[in-house]
Amino acid sequence: MRTTQKLAVALVLAGAGFAQPGLAQTPAVPVFVDETAGSGITTSYDGDWFYIVGGGVAAFDCNGDSYADIALPGGASKAQLYVNTSKQGGSLTFAPEASGLELDSIGGFYPADIDSDGITDLLVLRVGENLVMRGLGACKFERANEAWGFDGGDAWTASAALTFEHGSSWPTIAVGNYIDRNEDLSPWGSCTDNWLHRPGEGGRFAPPLPLKPSFCALSMLFTDWDKSGTPSLRVSNDREYYEGGQEQMWRILPGEAPKLMTLADGWKVLRIWGMGIASYDLDSDGYPEYFLTSMADNKLQTLAAPGPKPDYKDVAYARGVTAHRPYTGDDLRPSTAWHAQFDDVNNDGLVDLFVAKGNVDQMPDFAMHDPNNLLLQGADGKFVEVGDKAGIANNGNSRGAALVDFNMDGLLDLVVVNRRTGAQVWRNTGAEGGGNWIELEARQPAPNEDAIGGWIEVKRGDATMRRELTVGGGHAGGQLGWVHFGLGDATMASVAVVWPDGTRSEWPDLAAGGFYVLERDKPAASLSPRD
Amino acid sequence: MRGHRLAAFCVAVLLWCATSLGALAEARPAPGAILRDWYTLMNELVRHTATYSPPVASRSFAYLGITAFEAAVGGSDKLVSLVGQLHGLEQLPQREAGASYDETVVISAAMSDAIVFYFGNTGPTGQRAINRAQSKWRALAVEGVPEDVVVRSEAFGKAVAAAIFAWSQGDGGATVLNMGFPYEYELPKGDGKWVPTNLIRQQQLPLLPQWGNNRTFATPDGATCPTPGNPSYSIEPGSDFYKEADEVYLTVKNATPEQTAIARFWSDDPMLSMTPPGHWVSIALQVAERADLPLDENVDLLARMGIAMSDAFVGCWNAKFAYNLVRPITYIKKVIDPKWEPILNTPPFPEYPSGHSTVSGAMDAVMTAFFGENYAFEDKTGSPDGRNPRQYTSFHEAAEEAGISRLYGGIHFRSAIEDGLVQGRCIAAYTIALKTRK
Repeated sequence: MRTTQKLAVALVLAGAGFAQPGLAQTPAVPVFVDETAGSGITTSYDGDWFYIVGGGVAAFDCNGDSYADIALPGGASKAQLYVNTSKQGGSLTFAPEASGLELDSIGGFYPADIDSDGITDLLVLRVGENLVMRGLGACKFERANEAWGFDGGDAWTASAALTFEHGSSWPTIAVGNYIDRNEDLSPWGSCTDNWLHRPGEGGRFAPPLPLKPSFCALSMLFTDWDKSGTPSLRVSNDREYYEGGQEQMWRILPGEAPKLMTLADGWKVLRIWGMGIASYDLDSDGYPEYFLTSMADNKLQTLAAPGPKPDYKDVAYARGVTAHRPYTGDDLRPSTAWHAQFDDVNNDGLVDLFVAKGNVDQMPDFAMHDPNNLLLQGADGKFVEVGDKAGIANNGNSRGAALVDFNMDGLLDLVVVNRRTGAQVWRNTGAEGGGNWIELEARQPAPNEDAIGGWIEVKRGDATMRRELTVGGGHAGGQLGWVHFGLGDATMASVAVVWPDGTRSEWPDLAAGGFYVLERDKPAASLSPRD
Repeated sequence: MRGHRLAAFCVAVLLWCATSLGALAEARPAPGAILRDWYTLMNELVRHTATYSPPVASRSFAYLGITAFEAAVGGSDKLVSLVGQLHGLEQLPQREAGASYDETVVISAAMSDAIVFYFGNTGPTGQRAINRAQSKWRALAVEGVPEDVVVRSEAFGKAVAAAIFAWSQGDGGATVLNMGFPYEYELPKGDGKWVPTNLIRQQQLPLLPQWGNNRTFATPDGATCPTPGNPSYSIEPGSDFYKEADEVYLTVKNATPEQTAIARFWSDDPMLSMTPPGHWVSIALQVAERADLPLDENVDLLARMGIAMSDAFVGCWNAKFAYNLVRPITYIKKVIDPKWEPILNTPPFPEYPSGHSTVSGAMDAVMTAFFGENYAFEDKTGSPDGRNPRQYTSFHEAAEEAGISRLYGGIHFRSAIEDGLVQGRCIAAYTIALKTRK
């Protein structure tokens, strides 16, 4: 079911049809076309109080055709999986598929190959019992809680992350839980425990370990913030509900109890309405920056000084990504931000930032018309808002989202989950003067075939772009599959993968405009998407 | 002997169980108790409603306290209405002569509507909690009360709440946009003037710069009880201003664990706590519950506290924007040590005088006048957030500690604290002079 089944293995030759180079001082604005009406997607994220958060989308290939399919949560209504029926470079079309995911009380999904059988599975976040759904191929899934010893619990789960700890053939899953939903008169201060599901015996999970203290997590991410080779667990928490809480980072070392980082470690207290995490090594120093979504303010964290201390400073203001209130219309009230994602939407070689926005639920002190953000990064490292110019400034009450190349034309398209109204999709038709691109997939022998915890590095000229391969972050949803890099005017790229075990593989000359599967100790394999 | 002990133990257990089960069954509450329940919920909403900065919280506590007071006046032979004593409060609904009212129902109905008036902008979780409280506490309040009495009592409580709310709309503080931060405001320029102290875009302009012009309740206006002013701004070592800054710098740098604990205990950050006004209300609720205050004393205390704290914030804000003084973090980084950091988050508005000191001085005066000198109490306000309770021998001691906590935390100079405490006590004198009892 992997893309490799349809690969024409070849040493790299020039890809076809990539855009002409062109790097302007002002970032080129891509044009997104709203193709929701003809897309076949009708799912909305429904429900009342239990669904004020959540709404995360999973994008992954569930039928081996190399195109990204999507799973959309329905909240109080049933979730729906949609098979991507788009053609290369064509309109975005999807077909609903009876997959076994038609369940209610779902707030989000993360795709991952939990059992390392080569078929992507799904971690399903619910208000109630969480599920692990084993992928059967052909976009079918079955419950695997019992088979894999996964205790789904009974909580209001709103976030999750997954990693493979060193030496383990079975993944570790962190689950972030929200308020005690039975506390109706005074729910504040009732944050329930997050859980760490570590490997047990014989291809099963051990009983979950509570991560105490827990502070109503809305996003979690295993990330190698210090280049130690071992990811730690970042947790973004909603200050609306915790008492005595803050943002958190847990050191997770194999065979050891999780250790919460403190002021003594260099971790500074930060209290926000934490809702989403996006990460990317923006300054190419090997250490990821982290964008944290919140209300009326968002943070962009970078290490105060490279080194072993998790001492972060906020550079959101300096980089132009505070995104604190609407940028169009006459609603000047503060914004509410959820999913965030760094990716290069105009292929100029500089990652941009998408942020999903939407009022929690009739909060009159916050914007009701809160358009999603598309912030393009300029050559000076500052971001400029172009959501309205690009055509993605919607009126929906957005939650989860994903920038994905759905029609495999090298341009990242967009799907957005909205509360109480249908999800939306936009096709990226490119930017005038947009640059070249390359899309990559790192593969290694099982376990952890998707190389979660590794890094892909792409050199274009003197610049090195690095992307950590993670499962987690965003808001209640994530992606697995092609990793997209814009190349600007470069026609070739030198690519490397730092595998989760720290070893490094290099492919020195890949032509722009192509899709490549990068397997250890093998030549890059190019793929030609279906027409 | 052993059998007697066992029997005594069993009786004790049974009594405890009976008490606990009684609590679980939630017997019909006394009017003072249900008032405290509503206040406890409102203090949660102060923390969890985005517009509730300290000045806004103090204003709501004033109107809520007056609502409870006026709802109770007609049912008490001890209380005197505040109509005609507070600016703009000219008349209020009256009870039907000779008709029967139930005080628990009156108070609960008044608070049930008032909480929506003042916290209607809270988020979905707050709305849900309000709805649950309204239905749950009404059911408790009306249990066993004749229907006609319920109808009459609820109508009166609601009418009082509505009339007070209508009065509140003309005081200048009813509408709070952008969480209190103006969209446009020209910052005064010059040495020693306040400049933004953080990188939050919304807070590049100061909080509620016009608040000092709001209508007051008991003081003539916001300019009543003026402060003497901060030492003349100077960056010269040896100047009075430098000395005060150096005191903050060195105190934070060498802070003892006790000083740090005090700073954090009184931190009372908006959105992360019930704010300084809510902290003092919390103290009052703890003391009132321990003393099991009857309704007339409960409403008298809460109304006076609300009036005094609101007038204190109007007076303090009036002075803040007259002086527009720079914060310690700005001065110390510029003049003494660029790497210095305070213990607390620096509030996004001018420094002088200290708002927490002004309100604490006012609360010291009001609560001391109510409970007397040397009234010892324990404050558990910060316990849910992991802070240890603190004990005080008097309200005066607590207020002095609240004031100096701002120096320990690195966000205020000494003059702002000492002058703020004096200003607060001066403002409170107008509240204390109100006639509330026959």
